[in-house]
Amino acid sequence: MEKTGKTKYIFSAIFVLIAHIAMLVTMSHNGNYASPGKLIVLSLAVILLDIAYFIAMLFFRQTTYTIDFMLIFILNISLIFQSSFGGIELSVKHLLTCIASLVACRLGYMLCCDHKWLQTKKKPFYIASGIIMLSILTLTGSRSMWIDLGFFTLQPSEFLKPAFILVCTTYVAEQQNKIKFWKFNIVPENLICTAFIILICGLQWWCRDLGSLPTFVAIYLCGLCARLCYPKAKLSKKLIITGIALIGVLAVIAIILAPPYVKARLFVDIWSDSSGDGYQQSRALIAIANGGWFGKGAGKGDLHNIFAYDTDIVFASICEEWGLFFAVMVIAVILIMLACPLVNPPRSYFHATLATGVCSAFVVQMALNIFGSCNMIPFTGVTLPFISQGGSSMVTCGFMMGMIIAGQSPVFKNPVAGSKKNKKRKRVKAE
Amino acid sequence: MKSIKRSLRLVTIIILAFIAGMIMLVLKIQKEAGFYISHSDTAELGLVYDRNGDVLFDSDASPNKYGNNYFIDVGNLIGDAKGQMTNTLVAKNIEKLNNYSFSWGLVSNGGKSSIHTSLDHYANRIVYDSFGSSKGCAVAYDYTTGEILVCTSLPSLDVTKGYSGIADFETGTLISKVMYGTVPGSTQKVSTLLSAFQIMGRDKLFSKSYTCEGVYMNKGGNEIDCHNSYGHGTQNIQQAFQNSCNPFFAQLVEDNDMPLDKIIKCYEKMGYAVNGEKEQYFDINGIKCDRASTTLTDSYDFNTQWGCIGQGKTLVSPMQLMMWQSGIVNESGKMTMPYLIKYTTNVEGEIGDWAETSFSEEVFTPQSAVEVKNIMLENGKNYSESISGYTLGIKSGTAQIKDGEEENSLLVGFIVDERHPIAFCVLLENKDNSDTRSENIVKAMLDALCN
Repeated sequence: MEKTGKTKYIFSAIFVLIAHIAMLVTMSHNGNYASPGKLIVLSLAVILLDIAYFIAMLFFRQTTYTIDFMLIFILNISLIFQSSFGGIELSVKHLLTCIASLVACRLGYMLCCDHKWLQTKKKPFYIASGIIMLSILTLTGSRSMWIDLGFFTLQPSEFLKPAFILVCTTYVAEQQNKIKFWKFNIVPENLICTAFIILICGLQWWCRDLGSLPTFVAIYLCGLCARLCYPKAKLSKKLIITGIALIGVLAVIAIILAPPYVKARLFVDIWSDSSGDGYQQSRALIAIANGGWFGKGAGKGDLHNIFAYDTDIVFASICEEWGLFFAVMVIAVILIMLACPLVNPPRSYFHATLATGVCSAFVVQMALNIFGSCNMIPFTGVTLPFISQGGSSMVTCGFMMGMIIAGQSPVFKNPVAGSKKNKKRKRVKAE
Repeated sequence: MKSIKRSLRLVTIIILAFIAGMIMLVLKIQKEAGFYISHSDTAELGLVYDRNGDVLFDSDASPNKYGNNYFIDVGNLIGDAKGQMTNTLVAKNIEKLNNYSFSWGLVSNGGKSSIHTSLDHYANRIVYDSFGSSKGCAVAYDYTTGEILVCTSLPSLDVTKGYSGIADFETGTLISKVMYGTVPGSTQKVSTLLSAFQIMGRDKLFSKSYTCEGVYMNKGGNEIDCHNSYGHGTQNIQQAFQNSCNPFFAQLVEDNDMPLDKIIKCYEKMGYAVNGEKEQYFDINGIKCDRASTTLTDSYDFNTQWGCIGQGKTLVSPMQLMMWQSGIVNESGKMTMPYLIKYTTNVEGEIGDWAETSFSEEVFTPQSAVEVKNIMLENGKNYSESISGYTLGIKSGTAQIKDGEEENSLLVGFIVDERHPIAFCVLLENKDNSDTRSENIVKAMLDALCN
């Protein structure tokens, strides 16, 4: 790392560390903890994770670490949140999932760095997606979305998200490979992707996880849009309008055919049914109102008595204890992470498509969680990326963030002419 | 590179759409937080006042603090926050009483949220007391502004005493009868009279005369009884209205110059739900109030005729009866819309929600209003002794209920007085077993409001 780079790295690390320490100090003054020891344990976990990550990152030499710093920043904030709901005590489970998320991020980064290599691996992604779908069908319980491994549970549909993004991304380059069928020019890869989304929809319907459906549809539509943007790819306006109309018709049909429990959520008046279908949302909104702009204080909330306080309605839990201002700021950090490709454009169209898919998945999921729990849209019960409790979700989110970082950091540090390793790196840079 | 930029435009749109959603969310929460808190168990509620600053609701009220039965005259109108009564001022406007702001949270001491009503607690209490041991309800309002001055309903409850023994509460304790439909008796003739003026016109209606011999055999072969079994003889509309003559009105409804479809149209314009139309309500600061309803099928039909006289299946709320009076006395045919809340203050004491006078659409023609006003004023002279000191337009009614076992007495009317423009309606239940008369209640009400 060059000297200026080192300075920036150190200052960024100090900034993240200070921000976390500030939160911990606030908790010590205004938090609800049974004994100082619990706060100290949490503080140690946060600070040590920070430091460990800063050191570990040095082994992954990149020209920009913006998203990495923001990732550890948001993950430790998430750890602080999850350790404070209803009383301050380190959430060991969430600490482990945060670490898993960081590891997954690195894996995502390493997998997606070399896009040329990656685009030759279409079939493995198809196979991987197929295996995940098969596992949903066979390994989950009775029409459920969970695989119970005894000591923990997995939600395979979460892993399907990055796999589907990769499927949607790898076919982009195939847009010029059209075949003539009757009067139409057809791109076989598009048909495969459409078949995938239809399969996924059916599967989500089958395992009663309709909450994730909008996320998959958003990923698919972004993939489709990427096709429109692809060089030399042409699609008539007539076809685009027909496509949009078709989506509208399908949405209406889906609402009509939706199971009763889905319809109940779509049209529930939460205040007249505040002890039934509107229970979680009404409690969440009351908690947000109770928290006001600056919250009641860490560990001083009451929402932890409500089911899914740390997952589906976690935004309201944060608002109650930390305030709406802080909650919005945290969401802003996630948005800035997603917006990084806008400032530092991806190095290839493949990575741009990847970033679009990841961004759509994150934003749709955040919208479903936040707006759903606040009764702006139907409540679907999905997790808030990086914030909600849940291993599958955390790992997936970390992996997907790694995909964005891969597009961000094409240039490796100090290429030294002559060495074998650096010749390889130079090649990567050239791409 | 161009393609990458185009692709990133999509990212920008997605993020901007989400940011727009977040802004909407923050604004929504900021705006509705008070409403959310009002559904919380920890809500800190402010006070409700009458027009002179008397407290009508205090969530910390107790008999020791205010005295026994201090709130009883407004118990089922103002209500409380305990959820037993849902169609009350507090229940429907609880968010306005919240001592809460999103910036400062709940304010338990020093919060200034309040509702200032147009009610006159002093007059309301006098009216309540004037019922004695009887039951019923009374309502009065300023027909120029719409301010409800008196609104009481018996039996009532002292909300400070809670709801222990709720199973033993008398029927109607937890509702304000002013807002609910009741058999209007001959006060319905005001509506029929208004319709007749609109359908026939003044000259033709005054040219009509029918004979009452105590009982009238209608064209459908059914008997319509008059309260005067000796009959009123031959009368014109003015005399029949003053005599409240049932056979006259039955013959009027049968008259070919008074086709039923036109009566129905007039009734519907006045707000009646005719022949099983969907029940409708109007809103008084969130409180639901029944609209009138009746059944009119055939001009010669017994029930239709009684419907126009005020029995049968006709139901009208005292509030609605009073509102029509405003359209008559204002000579506009437009009802002055009543309200209870004059203004509110928020947690910091800032005044808001100022009430504004509003009027309905024209529910009957101004010409018919003038004619009916004159007839009612003429009729009011008959009450110059019992309700002395006022230029009064009035119509009485006796409504048979429980298959004729009981009779309710009603009085609707107005006083013509620039300083006290008051329209009213009084319902006295089971009048024959009552120790008072509806005239006495009206007299007590007007004296309390005007003196």
